[in-house]
Amino acid sequence: MTALPVATGRRTLSTMLRLARSHPRDCVATGVWTVAAALATVTGPLLLGALVDAVGSRHRGSAGPLLALLAVVGVAGAILSALAQRAIVALAARITAALREKILGRVLTLDSTVVHGAGSGDVTSRVTEDMEIFSEAAPLLAEVFAAAVTVAVSFVGFSSLDWRLAAAFVIVFPVYALSLRGYLPKAGARYAAERRAAADRTQTILESLHGAATVEAFGMAPLQAERVAAASARATEAGISALRLSLWLTKTMNGAEALGLSAILLTGSLLVHGHVIAVGAVAAAALLFHRLFDPLGTLLGSFDDVQRAGAALSRIVGVAGMPGAEPVSVRAPDGPVAIEVRGVRHSYDGTADVVRAMDLTVPAGTSVAVVGASGAGKSTLAAILAGLLPSSAGTTALRDARGTVASADLGEAGRSRWIGMVAQDTHVFTGTLREDLTLAVPDADDHRISAALATAGARWAAALPDGLDTRIGPDGLHLDPAQAQQLALARIALADPPVVVLDEASAEAGSAHAHELEEAATALMRGRTAVVVAHRLSQARVCDRVLVMDHGRVVEQGTHDELLARDGRYAVLWRMWTMRTHTPAEPVQAVSGSSARPARG
Amino acid sequence: MTEFVPARTAGIPPPREVLRTVLRRQARPLTIAAVGSCVHQACEALVPLAIGLAVQNAVAGGDLSDALLAVAGVLALFAVLATGGGLAFYLNARSVSREAHRLRSDATARILADPAAGAGRTAGEWASVLTSDATATAQAARARSNVVSGAVGLAVTAAVLLRIDLWLGLGTLLTVPPLILGIDAISPRLEARLRERSQAAGLAAALAAELVRALAPLRAFGGTGEALRRYRAATARCLDADLAAASANAVVAAVGLVSTAFVTVAIAAAAGWMAFNGRIDVGQFVTVVAMASFVGDPVSRIAFGVQQLSAARAGAARIAPLLGPPPLLGTPPRDDAERGHGHAAPTGLDQEPVILENVSAGPIRALTLRLDPGAAVGVVAVDPAAAATLLAILSGRQAPSTGSARLGGRPLHAIARHGLDFRILVVPHQIHLLGRTLTEALQTGRDTDPARMRAALATASAADLPEQLTEAGANLSGGQRQRVAVARALAAEPAVLVLSDPLTALDAVTEDQVAARLIATRRAQGGATVVLTTSPPLLSRCDHVLYIDAQGTVLDAAHAELMSEPGYAAAVLR
Repeated sequence: MTALPVATGRRTLSTMLRLARSHPRDCVATGVWTVAAALATVTGPLLLGALVDAVGSRHRGSAGPLLALLAVVGVAGAILSALAQRAIVALAARITAALREKILGRVLTLDSTVVHGAGSGDVTSRVTEDMEIFSEAAPLLAEVFAAAVTVAVSFVGFSSLDWRLAAAFVIVFPVYALSLRGYLPKAGARYAAERRAAADRTQTILESLHGAATVEAFGMAPLQAERVAAASARATEAGISALRLSLWLTKTMNGAEALGLSAILLTGSLLVHGHVIAVGAVAAAALLFHRLFDPLGTLLGSFDDVQRAGAALSRIVGVAGMPGAEPVSVRAPDGPVAIEVRGVRHSYDGTADVVRAMDLTVPAGTSVAVVGASGAGKSTLAAILAGLLPSSAGTTALRDARGTVASADLGEAGRSRWIGMVAQDTHVFTGTLREDLTLAVPDADDHRISAALATAGARWAAALPDGLDTRIGPDGLHLDPAQAQQLALARIALADPPVVVLDEASAEAGSAHAHELEEAATALMRGRTAVVVAHRLSQARVCDRVLVMDHGRVVEQGTHDELLARDGRYAVLWRMWTMRTHTPAEPVQAVSGSSARPARG
Repeated sequence: MTEFVPARTAGIPPPREVLRTVLRRQARPLTIAAVGSCVHQACEALVPLAIGLAVQNAVAGGDLSDALLAVAGVLALFAVLATGGGLAFYLNARSVSREAHRLRSDATARILADPAAGAGRTAGEWASVLTSDATATAQAARARSNVVSGAVGLAVTAAVLLRIDLWLGLGTLLTVPPLILGIDAISPRLEARLRERSQAAGLAAALAAELVRALAPLRAFGGTGEALRRYRAATARCLDADLAAASANAVVAAVGLVSTAFVTVAIAAAAGWMAFNGRIDVGQFVTVVAMASFVGDPVSRIAFGVQQLSAARAGAARIAPLLGPPPLLGTPPRDDAERGHGHAAPTGLDQEPVILENVSAGPIRALTLRLDPGAAVGVVAVDPAAAATLLAILSGRQAPSTGSARLGGRPLHAIARHGLDFRILVVPHQIHLLGRTLTEALQTGRDTDPARMRAALATASAADLPEQLTEAGANLSGGQRQRVAVARALAAEPAVLVLSDPLTALDAVTEDQVAARLIATRRAQGGATVVLTTSPPLLSRCDHVLYIDAQGTVLDAAHAELMSEPGYAAAVLR
């Protein structure tokens, strides 16, 4: 497993700053409004302090202007705070949107070896969970920023009263630092454990509900309910354990407040009795500090959320910033295309070769079937031929009337003009039938779409009440595996590439629809260069040539009839497939034994 | 429908009852938490008073000993405040998570045991009921504490202000609470925007998750470019919703902040005027000003508590259908008492046979089938509806229109599900692997011993699969999942096992291998097996095959004999 990269703190920060800089207006608005709002918040208590002194000296004359100023500052502060909030949330939203596009754009073009190496779970969690953590934290980050600015400006406010009062205020920070030192090292692990447990609980619940028919059929409701209860109990315990930590944090927060207030009152009392400052300054300091309870609480209380958002962000930036292949502009194919494979070898883990020393030529307009047991390397070969998987060694080239193009150079955009593949896993995309198909060809009109569906044998599509506007996929009409396969075939028919690679295109359909799918696949192969990974041998029979693979090598090749005449592995497979003769007691022995002829290039 | 609904809703507890139960079960910790919370709020309300007294007695007058006394007072106040607050926070949160867990466990047990209770909502919706709504319901515990302690905080605030000055106190108490409540009242306007925002974000996130999940097929047909363009459009909608929400939020915030500012300034002005006239002293002035910025807290707390309560009631209404008493089950099987909870494996020759006699139902006409221990019967149905009907009859979900389907003399559809479960296992075609490991996936509540599990895996050619499973076995290929599903059914060792198209995703070699071992193992177990399939490797190994043609007519013969039937040959020879 090669994990996906995680960006360093410095890189994450510089990426964020770069994204922020591309919205200069929002940046300026955020800075100006936030500082102005903080100034207003801090000025309020200072004016109240002045009022206290005016009361003390019975100086009525200054009361009117002070109260007027207080009113202006209060109202202005309120408006400025709202403006600051608006600006900063807008900035955060723009940065989030940019990040969303960046990471998905990068992930969609990730090399499949990278995805395979890192595990698709890691990739998915970066795009979904991490992105969600960050986007949900964005308003909080805005709040934290405002609180930090308010606390910083307050320090200026304390200093304007007396430097010793400012020093008394500063005493709270070591307390906060100590509190965080006790909290943070444990918090990361405990919150991560809590999230893991909660995710596991949700997954267990979902899988039980989705599998309700299985649970019922096996009569295993008590067992499954017990599993859910156990997962829920683990999540609850993890949550309570995390709770004890937040408790510690709130208590130290109260402690810091008590200490800060005491320090200000004690310092103030000494300074007033020493006739250094007036009572109003102390009253102002105390009121200011009382108003800081909230921002300070925000800063401390959201520390772990900020940390968590930061961790998510560095994982996002890590992937978004991965160097991608240079986009190459590839010419369109000219006429029929042949496939030429030279010395291709592939290994996923660097030790065991899944495909070994493969040389293969598929002449333009002809078809080749690849058959063999599971794990023989058929699907890997198909992915390499389709240009979706860069082989560990060797070259795969496509040749048309104008010359040769290496399939590794085709790139995401160019590939679909040359080659289309129906992979083993099919997917029905959420949306309408039309939207699903136009993913392959965005500007296809309804006429072309219907024609493609007809080629794929999807007669059911014509009978849909809402036609191409019928919603399909998870929240719409449920398509069975055979229909999903037809959709996959229809997308290729729509894209109309000169080369098609079909990886077990009729595999999971069940027996009822296998015929239809085979007909559709055959229709799609017509007039094209085709490679078909087939475990239904009737599909192999219609191909011009058949390759039998075993342990990454081609062990037999020829036409269907030639191979039957040779009476080797293919012939055994064919007999098993049709069951026209009596089955040997242990047919598997015959296939994996050494009686078959040695491999030929 | 009309006579059905009251029967269904009869056992459902009203939301209030659910909440009452939650509060009753946590009565002790919640009482302590409520006391702690009240103490905490009272102390919070006393902080402005403490500041005022300290300024008056220790700063404006008095000496060092007064200052030290003031500091000691502040520290003591905060110590009590922190203790009460901490206790309330911890006990409340613990009660909420424990109750959420309990509601979730009870409701899950119910919906799994009685799927009918879950009719009307999708699995995803129920999952959200079992997670979010369970927690929202349990929040009732915290909500009550918030309302009570908020009231205490407000009372203390009132007492302090009224003691300083009647008019000042009345003025503050009559303006601030209505103001806070008024601000709360305009926030629903904001909620619509926030809903739109989270909806847009949810759609974008769902699209991203789908595209990553479908990455392989997407790249295979070259759809990444268009997919990214669509995602950009979703992100743009998301941004618009974000900005609209931010603007709406700013307007609401500005209204709240400006009106609060007016009131605080008015109170400060009034208090200042009184201080100039000598009606109140400097310390009292400081107290009033600090109190004016605090008094919103207890009011918001009460408003929040009320909101939480209504959310809890809404959550309780959604989860309540899963909390009532279970409906009466059908007739329990005769030998239920001997079998305890049925965890024994009821295999062997002593089982009564399942006999279908002259069954007609839907597209099936006159089907006769006798399943003795060790029998293996193939079924090839040209019409998928005929296959579905046969499955429904065997699983007791449908009664035949004519003829009979019996187990030991009793009609299958009249036997309660829990009685059938352990004898006739009709495995759904759609595979759902449950559990995080291969071993868990093979356990179906029958205490299957490890040796039997290994044997079942070997039979299904699944012995070399990884032990760790990701979500629903997503790390396995389609063929591997099918083999695990076959192993699970074998490990359950039911008296009668009904499989539909169990080996379609296997390659020819493996298919043949598994087919041979599957039938042999079932014979060795002494259980009867029915396979709905068109796979010759399976059919050729069955004792006999029922061929149901397009007209619903049933032919009963060996696979080899049926091969001379053109319709049959076309169906199985591919």
